[in-house]
Parts: sequence; C-alpha cells; structure tokens
Amino acid sequence: MDLTQAAGNPVYRFYKNPNVRFMFFGALLCLVPYLKDIGVFNAGMLITIGGAIIYSVAALGLNLLLGFAGLISLGVAGFVGLGAYATAYFTKDLGLAFWVAALGAIALATLIGLLVGLVSLRVSGLYLAIATLCVSEILLKTFESFDSITGGMTGKRAAYPTILGTTLTREGTYIMLVIVLVLLMMLTRNLVKGSFGRALHAMRGSEVAAQAMGVNLLKYRLLAFALSTAYAALAGALYVTFIRSSYPTTWTITLSLNILAVVVIGGFRSIYGTILGSFVAFIVPDLILKKLPVIGDVPGLAYIFNGVMIIIVIMFYPAGLIKLFSDARGLALRLVSGKARKAVN
Amino acid sequence: MADNLERAASLAISDLSIHFGGLKAVDNLSFTVYEKEIFGLIGPNGAGKTTVFNCITQFYKPNAGSVKFLANTGETVELVGRPVHTIIKLGLVRTFQNVEVIKELPLIDNVLIGAHTSFKASVFEQALTLPRARREERRFREKAMNALDILGISDRANMLAGGQPYGVLKRVELARAIVSDPKLIILDEPAAGLNESETETLSHTIKLLRDQIGCTILLVEHDMGLVMGICDRICAISFGKFLACGSPSEIQKNKLVQEAYLGEQQGGDD
Amino acid sequence: MSTFLQILLRSLETGGVYALAALAIIIVLRTSMVAHFAQGTMAMFSTYVVALLCSKRGFPLWQSLLIGVAVAVAMAFAVDFFIIRRAKRASAVSKEIITLGLIMVFLGLAPVVFGVDPQLMPKAIPHGGDFQFLGASISHNAFLNICIGLFFMGLLFFILQKTKLGLAVRVTASNEPIARLMGVSTRNITLLAWITAGILGLLSGVMIAPATTVTTTLMNPVQLNALFACVLGGFQTFYGPVLGAYIIGIGRNLLTYYVSSEWGEQLLYVLLLIFLLLRPNGLIGRKFIKKV
Repeated sequence: MDLTQAAGNPVYRFYKNPNVRFMFFGALLCLVPYLKDIGVFNAGMLITIGGAIIYSVAALGLNLLLGFAGLISLGVAGFVGLGAYATAYFTKDLGLAFWVAALGAIALATLIGLLVGLVSLRVSGLYLAIATLCVSEILLKTFESFDSITGGMTGKRAAYPTILGTTLTREGTYIMLVIVLVLLMMLTRNLVKGSFGRALHAMRGSEVAAQAMGVNLLKYRLLAFALSTAYAALAGALYVTFIRSSYPTTWTITLSLNILAVVVIGGFRSIYGTILGSFVAFIVPDLILKKLPVIGDVPGLAYIFNGVMIIIVIMFYPAGLIKLFSDARGLALRLVSGKARKAVN
Repeated sequence: MADNLERAASLAISDLSIHFGGLKAVDNLSFTVYEKEIFGLIGPNGAGKTTVFNCITQFYKPNAGSVKFLANTGETVELVGRPVHTIIKLGLVRTFQNVEVIKELPLIDNVLIGAHTSFKASVFEQALTLPRARREERRFREKAMNALDILGISDRANMLAGGQPYGVLKRVELARAIVSDPKLIILDEPAAGLNESETETLSHTIKLLRDQIGCTILLVEHDMGLVMGICDRICAISFGKFLACGSPSEIQKNKLVQEAYLGEQQGGDD
Repeated sequence: MSTFLQILLRSLETGGVYALAALAIIIVLRTSMVAHFAQGTMAMFSTYVVALLCSKRGFPLWQSLLIGVAVAVAMAFAVDFFIIRRAKRASAVSKEIITLGLIMVFLGLAPVVFGVDPQLMPKAIPHGGDFQFLGASISHNAFLNICIGLFFMGLLFFILQKTKLGLAVRVTASNEPIARLMGVSTRNITLLAWITAGILGLLSGVMIAPATTVTTTLMNPVQLNALFACVLGGFQTFYGPVLGAYIIGIGRNLLTYYVSSEWGEQLLYVLLLIFLLLRPNGLIGRKFIKKV
C-alpha cells in the first residue's frame, strides 16, 4: 500500500503497466510445458490448457460483442470451425504458410460475418442471435457435406505450424498460442479503452443517447460483430494447428453455448475474466468434476455444470467470477483494518 | 427585443407536424430561435414539447414541415430527413429528460462520448495505439476535464457514473454536450429532479454556456421560475399547437397561455 | 400437379408443428419478455418422457401423453417460478442468456435421465392407411396431426380473442406495467404462458417424433424453424409467426423437392436472411417507435 504514494516511481509504473502485466501473465502460462516435463501435469493437461487458451481467444471476441455492445451471437462455433477448415485447407491443400492461411481464414470469416451482420443488425439484437444460429447451421451442414474441402465426416487433418522454416513441436505451438493470446489481450484492451470502446458502451447503455452523441448504431454493431467473427476465426486457425484435425461434430451449438458460458461466468467486459471463465468452463469439469464420486461418470456433466453456472452467475453475481478477486481483496482489507483498529484500542 | 431582427436565426421551425395514429402530437408549429439566445419552450403536460425536440433531433420523423439549422459550417441546413447520428456533427446537441449516462464508465469517459465524432483515428489505429490515436485521446481527455471543471465536478472525474447523485449526472450530461463544440444545445427539462439550490446553480451554468462558450440554448422546462428567470424569449404551446411567443413578461400576461395552464398550474407565478 | 399437392399436404403437417412451436415462443416472448431459446430443448425433454413410457414401460399413448403434459407443466412452472420470475429486472440479453443456460442444463440432463439410446415414438393410429385426395395421398396420422395442430391453434386464438383471460394476456403483452396497474395478475399470466408453451412444445414434439427417432437433437430443426417463423411473421402479433411457420413449412418442402434434397433447407435459410434485409420487421411487423 506504500506503493500508492510512489506513483512517479518508474518501478511502480512498470509494475502497474497493463501490457507488462499481460506479458507476465503470458510468461506464467508458458511454464505449463515445463511443469509437464517435471511431471506435475501429463500431456493431456497441456492439450486441455491449450484448448482453454484457444477458446479464450474466441471468447474475447464474444465478450467484445456481448459484454460491450450487448449483442448475442450463437454462431461462434460455426465461425471457429470456418477458421479451422479454411486454415487447414489453405495450408494442406494450397501449401500456404500458416500465418498467410490464418489471415486468409480470418478475412473469409469476417466477410461472411459482415454480410450476416448487415442483414440482421438493422432491427434489434434478438435478430442477430437468430441469424447467427441459422448461419451456424448452414456452416455445420457445409462442413459435413463439402467433402472435397472439409473431408466431410471423416474430418480434416492439419499440421503443427511452420514458422521461418522450422516446424514447431507441440510445446512450441503451445507457446505460440500463449503469445497470440497475450497480443490479443493487449489489442483488446487498447480497443475498449479508446473511442471505439466508448461507442460500444454508449450503445449498450442507451441507444438513443449513443445516437444523439453521433454514434452510428449500425456501423458500430457491425464493427463489433465483425471483430468478434475475426477473433473466432483466429481461434479456429489456432485450434486446427494445435489439435491437428477438425471434425464437424466439434462445431455445434454446444460449443457456441460453452463459449457463451465462458464470457458470462468469467465476467462481462473483463479481459482477465474471459480467461478465467475459459479455464473454469473448459478445465474445471475435466480436472475436478470427473474425479468426484457418483456424479463423476455422468456423461453431460460438463455441460450441466456450465449451464447451471451461467444461470447462477447471471442471477446472483452478474459481474462474473473475476469479481471474486476484488471482493476478496475488499474483505481482506476490511478484516485487516478491523484488526488494526482493535490493536490500537 | 427588436434587435432579434438583425440577428441570424440559429434554428427555424416552420409548419412542423407529426401525428401518431390519429393523435396530432405537433400541429403546424412554427418558431425561430436566434443565435446566442436562451429560448424556452413551455406548455402544460402533454403539450408535445419533448416531441418537438425529438422532431428537431430526428428521433421522430415529422410528417410535414421543416427544421432549418445554422450549422457550424456557417451554412443553413435542413435537418428533416437526416440520420439521427449525423445531427451532432452539425453543431446541435441535446440532453435527455431521464439522464442517459453509462453507469459502468467513469464520469470523464461519459463526457468523452460527447466528443465521439471528433475522433478521427480508425479502429485499427486505436487497437495499436498509434500516435494519432494517442494524441486524440490525450487532447480530448483534457477537453473533457475542462468541461467537468466548468461544471464544478472535475474532482469526481474518475468515479463511476453508477452511484453518483442525480444532480451530478445531470451536469455530466451538460459536460458531455459541451465537448461536442455545439452551436445549439437543446435541454430537455434540465431542472427536473433538482432541488432549489441545484436549480439556482443550473441557471448560472446555462447562462455561462451562452456567454462563455457562445452557444444558443433551447430548453423545455416545467420550473417556471427558471424559465422566466433566464430565458430571453419563450414560446408556449398546448396540444401541439402554437399559443404565443415573446419575452417572459409578455408570455406571463398572455390570455391564451393563462387559459392553457388554468386548472393545472398558474402560469408564471413564482 | 398431384406431386405438388402431395408436397403441400405434407407441408401442412410440418408447418403445423412449426406453428405450434412458434406460438409457444411468441407467447412467452410477449408476456414475459424472454426470448425462449430453450423451448425446443424443454419440448425434447417432455417428448422423451412420452416416448420412454410408451416404448419401455408399455403405457398406452394417451396415458403417456397425460404424464408428459404433467412433466411439461412441472418444468415450465419450475423455470418460471424459480428463475424467470426472479430475474424480472434483468436486461433482455441477460434473460436470453438464462434460456441459453437452460438449454445446456436440459440437454446435459437428458442422457442422464433417459439414457443415451434413441427411443421410438408410436404413431397415434398404429396401422393407419392413407387418404386419397385429387391424386395425392396423405396418411391418417398426418391428417390427424394437421387437425390437432389446427384445433389447438384455433382454441388458443379463440381464448386470446374472445375470453377475459385472453384479454388479460393481450394487455400484458402490449404493456406489462399498465396491465399490472389495471389489476391483471401478470405473474399468473406469465406463468400460464410458460405452461402453455410447455404443452405446445410437447405437442409439436410428439407430432414430429414418429417420423424419426427420439434423441436429444429431436427438436433442433423445429426450434430453428419456429424462431425463423417468428422473424418472418414479425414479433408484434400472435398470428404472424403462425403464418410464417406455414410459409416455412411449404417453402422448405418445395425447395428440397424441386431444387436440391441436400441443400434445400440451407437455401431456405439464405432466402429468409435476404427477406430480412428487405423487410426487417417481418411480414406483419410494423416499426416500433421508441419514446425518448
């Protein structure tokens, strides 16, 4: 607490810089492969955590849309899948470099997202939810039936990325995921702190006031949706290069709802919250619930857990689990100061 | 006020009409607001005052009539038919009857929303915090701080809007209007919900806006004390129809206005 | 011509199913301001009960149906009483999220309660034949479904338009706070809407189930088409979605028969999106003027 007086202190400013904190957070995540090597985790855990990181990317995009602009998309899984298949096709069939393929996949998905947004965003938020639900169905059907590109039900294979002539290992790819996540956290923070973020806030807070202040509703809704689609496609590109395969059964409404759960559980408009949410929604069921007696064997347990969590969080703790940290700190401070007061007396 | 004739018209409304179903909310209304004037629009409850505001700012599309506005470019433009979000760029900004602020943002960011159309940096530049985006953010943040200072709430700049008292939020709305560099500010019941001393401060602030920033002010208000105290001219309407227009004393003496207010409240007695 | 008529008749059956589901969604939306995304999933749940009782326990269909209705009512009651009522002040988006959470809960619970095997739903008329009609044929069961669908829709619209209860529902739909001030018990109306939606969902499920097997994904296409029926017909009236449902039912069958059996449905969705671009408020919808 003495640090608060040292606002001019360069060490303190460095410590308080959000980008430095994001990098520090990334460094922590990079420890996972080493923890695996010394036997704390098994290899399966590395993939699970990698998966949670990938879904965090898609969820960050959804949080821009849902948390900031207050719009629901039910097509996240479809767009992640589109990113995955497009990246696999561009690298495997067309022989493009991973980053070119990923950019191509993002461009393709964003274009489709813009079209869908243009159709549905002119009326009300509910239309976007229904339109994205439908687009998600169309995409899923395409993944199943467009054999020549997607491999149909037998799935599509991909490889670890080759960057600057060297093909990464699984651990290397994992590190790449972390780097992308940290970069996106920085970008997202910059975006929401600027006039773009304020415009989204204004729209969610009051559409009429936003319009009166010169915010073009359609433009900003479209931008938010296009961005969230781009994040989803990027997540797809990361998925296919980390997991090295893609099946239509992955990209159903189930995944869209799980990613929605990430945003709700973690906390609207919170970057760290989104990542926390992803770890809770994708890792806790695997790591903890499955080990419980009796209910551990229930097949849809993870899904029920996430569904119940969504409802409970929305109803009783709408700021999301990330608020637990500040609440805990507030409680601790109160306890400490209470003790201090007693000591003085 | 004879010199009005030589002044340029800031806002000229002519033959404005709008109806919802069979109800004529505004019926063939005309009035003109001159530059640097504080102009009041009064009328009993349900007279259609807010509807007039909504027709000016294009939230409602009037069925007939025109709204001419002397824009910040120096040209007189027709507002009817323009998209709502383009109005503020011309130099016309409004506040709302029920304060519309974003609870999750600090006051300063709420004020910055008023400068939305002044930001030129693209989303891309913002994401990478390129120099232009940083420069703009710094410049307008300073400006927003000044606006909060003028309204005497700069000490609360970094507090969240949620949980602030109503009077503060009303001032935040005013500050938000100021940072858009307006030529004309439209205030929808600025004194509603304020206590006596707050209303007193408000009337000073409104005069300040006109004298220091050089805005024209158009306001709807129920607090007759405020309206009679600060307005240069007043237009009275009832059931969407024009009743009278003139100086506060002329309006107070006007028979039609007194009749319209009879049974509801005595027009003009403080 | 007889093929066309055949398709039309079949569309009346699927359209009727969509219409019941769409009515369920619109009644809940208009009375409790909740976009009920879990309508299909909850219908799947109660349909599973009926199928399981019939095929595993050997109950006759009518008895299973009664129990199914009881389950549907209980579920609707529980959801409204324990969740929706308590989230009344939440934003529209939060309520949508709640119903999405309900999808996850019921979809996750289904295999736990019913097992993972697909179940068969018996036909209402076990050895029914076909009616011949101008060269087109329609099975007795399909005819029965069309009639049941029309009957329940007729009953619902009669109640809505001609009874005091219906008036209360319509008042609640047009302005909930005013309705409350006028002495309408909007709580009960909302509860009733959820229960009606549950029963309509069960009906649509039981009608569509014999044509396929009962699995957790049984109601997905019905839910999607019902939502689209609401978009097509507009959210402002009760009959708009019903009209939309029949149009979708007919359009879907025509496209799958005459254009492409594999892509017909997707094509329909694309056409619907284009329609939305041209008429964003739907067929019956009108622009809603917001008070500022």
